[in-house]
Amino acid sequence: MSTRSVILDEIVRIAEQQKKKLAPLTDDLPLLGSGLDSLCIAVLVATLDDTLGIDPFDRDGDVPFPVTIGDFISLYENAPA
Amino acid sequence: MLNALVTGGTRGLGLGIAKALASSGFQVIAIARNEGDAMAAAREQVARDGRGALHFRTFDLADIDRIGDLVKTLRRDFGGFYGLVNNAAIGTSGILTTMPDSAIERAVRLNVVSPLTLTKYVVRSMMTGQGGRIVNLSSVVSSTGYSGLSVYSATKASLTGFTRSLAREVGPLGITVNAVAPGFINTEMTRDLNSNQLVQIARRSALQRLPEVVDIANAVDFLFSEQARNITGTVMTVDAGNTA
Ligand SMILES: NC(=O)c1ccc[n+]([C@@H]2O[C@H](COP(=O)([O-])OP(=O)(O)OC[C@H]3O[C@@H](n4cnc5c(N)ncnc54)[C@H](OP(=O)(O)O)[C@@H]3O)[C@@H](O)[C@H]2O)c1
Repeated sequence: MSTRSVILDEIVRIAEQQKKKLAPLTDDLPLLGSGLDSLCIAVLVATLDDTLGIDPFDRDGDVPFPVTIGDFISLYENAPA
Repeated sequence: MLNALVTGGTRGLGLGIAKALASSGFQVIAIARNEGDAMAAAREQVARDGRGALHFRTFDLADIDRIGDLVKTLRRDFGGFYGLVNNAAIGTSGILTTMPDSAIERAVRLNVVSPLTLTKYVVRSMMTGQGGRIVNLSSVVSSTGYSGLSVYSATKASLTGFTRSLAREVGPLGITVNAVAPGFINTEMTRDLNSNQLVQIARRSALQRLPEVVDIANAVDFLFSEQARNITGTVMTVDAGNTA
């Protein structure tokens, strides 16, 4: 499964679990406009760390928090393995 | 078996808590710098009893930069966490105006920055599981005050603020966060108090005695149990009525 579809599946699963209504997911939709709140996004990051072994927000790093879903996905696609 | 991490679980209150949680069926991982004889004996006892499990891992919790990696290693070795008890602390005592700056910083680092950072990483593993339990060890002195314990009290009070806000933050995930505030208890931490002071504290307590390690352990064990599923963001005082 591609990184993109893993992420999109997780977004849907977490929204269901946390009873959030999702907007149709497109790359230029702001992450916080998707229906997920900041806690859901924290769960998403923790889950992706488990499934993909990647956490772009791990260190004190200067990673700006991605604004759109597309930015979020490319952060994972471009992460060093 | 559900995993529970207990910092400073090798002696004093931490060891009592670790043993209680193991006998309630948890797989307990105790962390401290040194294992010590009491911990080794407790591990043998738990193995003999055949209920729960007790493991020891050595780590200096003042080493904040390595906490993230510690949690990764523990998760790889034991799996995700259900419970966390932030118990390790130093009991810095002395008059503030003559206390070395470095002692203030050391207390804040181990008693505040370390548990906050550890909780950050451990909660992440709870987020993907089925709820969880966090208990932070505060102290009655954080609300009553005690001369010579200003820095220590500040660190313990900060944990109650942390407890309340984090409880709200992670409540939607079924994770409870509570604090236990013990009164004075005879452990290595309180060895600076002379026996007169301890007698006086006992005399001023409603029950005319000091609480014991097992009382604190029982409180944490309860907060970890299913019975406590609707208790979060609270501070449970266990002090034999010293602050009643
Ligand atoms: N005793 C009391 O009267 C009392 C009253 C109110 C609240 N409390 C609270 O209860 C908790 C436990 O107190 P206690 O009396 O049981 O303390 P204790 O007897 O001094 O034990 C402290 C534990 O923390 C560990 N520890 C200390 N520094 C550490 C470090 N840098 N890295 C990792 N582990 C470290 C110690 O092991 P190592 O030294 O081997 O690392 C030990 O296992 C504390 O949070 C304290 O503030 C105690």
